[in-house]
Amino acid sequence: MARLMMPIFFITLSAVYLILTFGLTRSKVGDPNGPLYFPALIGIVLLVLSVIYFVQEWKKRAEEVTEFKPLRGNVLILIVATLLLSLLYTLVFERLGYLISTILFLGCLLFIVNGPKKWLQNVIIAVIFSFVSWFSFAKLLSISLP
Amino acid sequence: MGIEMQYFMEGLSSALQPINLLWVLVGGFLGTIVGMLPGIGPATAIAILIPITFGMNPTSALILMAAIYYGAMYGGSRSSILLNTPGDGSAIAATFDGYPMARNGMAGQALTISAIASFIGGILGTIGFIILAKPLAEFALKFGPAEYFLLFLFALSATVSLSKDHMVKGFIAMMLGLMLSTVGIDRQTGVHRFTFDIPQLSEGIDFLVVIIGVYAVSEVLYNYLNLDWIKNKNKLGRLWITKEQWKRSKWPIFRNVPIGFLIGVLPGAGGAIASMLSYTMERQLSKEPERFGKGAIEGVAAPESSNNAASVGAFIPMLTMGVPGSGTTAVILGALIMLGIRPGPLLFEHNPDMVWTFINSMLVGNIFLIIINILLIGLLVKILDTPPRILYPLILILAFIGTYTLSYSVIDFFILIIFGIIGLLMKLLHFPIAPLILAVIVGSEMEQNFRKSLIAYDGVLDILLASPITVTLCILTILSIIYPFMLSWLKNLKTHQA
Repeated sequence: MARLMMPIFFITLSAVYLILTFGLTRSKVGDPNGPLYFPALIGIVLLVLSVIYFVQEWKKRAEEVTEFKPLRGNVLILIVATLLLSLLYTLVFERLGYLISTILFLGCLLFIVNGPKKWLQNVIIAVIFSFVSWFSFAKLLSISLP
Repeated sequence: MGIEMQYFMEGLSSALQPINLLWVLVGGFLGTIVGMLPGIGPATAIAILIPITFGMNPTSALILMAAIYYGAMYGGSRSSILLNTPGDGSAIAATFDGYPMARNGMAGQALTISAIASFIGGILGTIGFIILAKPLAEFALKFGPAEYFLLFLFALSATVSLSKDHMVKGFIAMMLGLMLSTVGIDRQTGVHRFTFDIPQLSEGIDFLVVIIGVYAVSEVLYNYLNLDWIKNKNKLGRLWITKEQWKRSKWPIFRNVPIGFLIGVLPGAGGAIASMLSYTMERQLSKEPERFGKGAIEGVAAPESSNNAASVGAFIPMLTMGVPGSGTTAVILGALIMLGIRPGPLLFEHNPDMVWTFINSMLVGNIFLIIINILLIGLLVKILDTPPRILYPLILILAFIGTYTLSYSVIDFFILIIFGIIGLLMKLLHFPIAPLILAVIVGSEMEQNFRKSLIAYDGVLDILLASPITVTLCILTILSIIYPFMLSWLKNLKTHQA
């Protein structure tokens, strides 16, 4: 039954989108329904497609879901860790500034992906890359980084 | 013709200006590298380099991005031949005979012929561009809103239908992209749509953040599945090809240029399809088809000239009509819009200098690329030893910097991460990415044309029947949707008869 999750998600999404579309404020200029036409069209087509998708998956409902098989063990840990670190980076980016937060983020990331055994290589790359990228963006391209 | 010649010379001198020359070289070199590295393609490279183009004038930016694109066509075959791992989709065909050649000790010759084929494909493709682009731009001037709406629809559905086995998923991806494009203040009426009172959303979801999220972040996450690359063990051997080898490759190279070029012009198809088709065709035309797959040099030459010609052809619909036909050209279009350039038929009238500088930069770029891809091959091969475990974290950092420079707000980081996850899920569940990206970029333009045609015509049927062009586009759209079904139906019929 896990197969039906995605089609159900899309059916729900298109339904919510259609409800939101018809709840939009009407326009005071021109055709009052002007802003609605295109989203309504998208919503309806997506709904139809999701139902077709549902039927396709329904026929295969007994089959096992193999799509997530590659995400075993280490790979899953790597992905989740990377996403969590990215989130942390987002939260501290403006507070700690580009240099410090990037050195920390890249350092941790390399630690996880490249392995703790190569810690010296990781530290050197994290520091040098952060400095070089900071210099080239902030100084050479004059993009203001926090 | 006299005026054209004058433009050509001006374009040439502008392309040879040191700064533009530098960008062609940088782009070509970078393109070769990302083309070589398995798992990273030109779309990813251009997506993370978008911030660098901000400070540049649009012409230089276009030159740089284009050079990355066709440079990747050169680079892609390097890893196909040496590692049996295509650098990207358009290099798959080069593995069929390229890798067997390398196993036979002829790696160097395979690399040389593919560079020569790429060069001829690129140069002749550029000449094709000069011949075809102007008339097409003039033709596109006749297009009104109804024609444009249907053209976008055709380009999108053609892109979807090429993801054969996953058509429904492709159309769902396309609808998601269009949905994203409707978020924000409506351009015509000022009505807030789907903004949920979040001020950042009133400007709409920045499609560049979506691009970076889907092409860079999710690419990094997806590549975690395959972190250890195969090491190159093949010796290069002789680089120079023999007279006999040239004789075998000559015709396959030349006759596949127009094929690749025209496939590149069509929306949806691109280098991957062009090179596959050329390979199959050469095998069928060959008097000794049994040599194919065992290291036939023409099996390397044909797809390589074809995919380079296709990469040049792909610029025609993007620059003359503002309709990208592939993920990579969509990303380039997105970056150009950000720089204030709206490609379309008027680009050729208003910015002839830009167009002609671009054309000449391709000629210069291809000369440069054939040189580095043959003479510096020893150095390039070393790049394949780059440890991916270090490379991917660095790409991730570049994705974050790139996103930050778009609007100097960390709010975009959240959107970036979300689209990284969405992109990863799409890849795992076999949802094609290109339709989503195309739709996000052309969505708002498509809507404007749709609404303008609703005002101009009475109903939807009138829009479809507005002119011979709209009728043709309708038929093409329907054909592009049912064509894969017809193919499998025909196949079934054949197997039943047999």
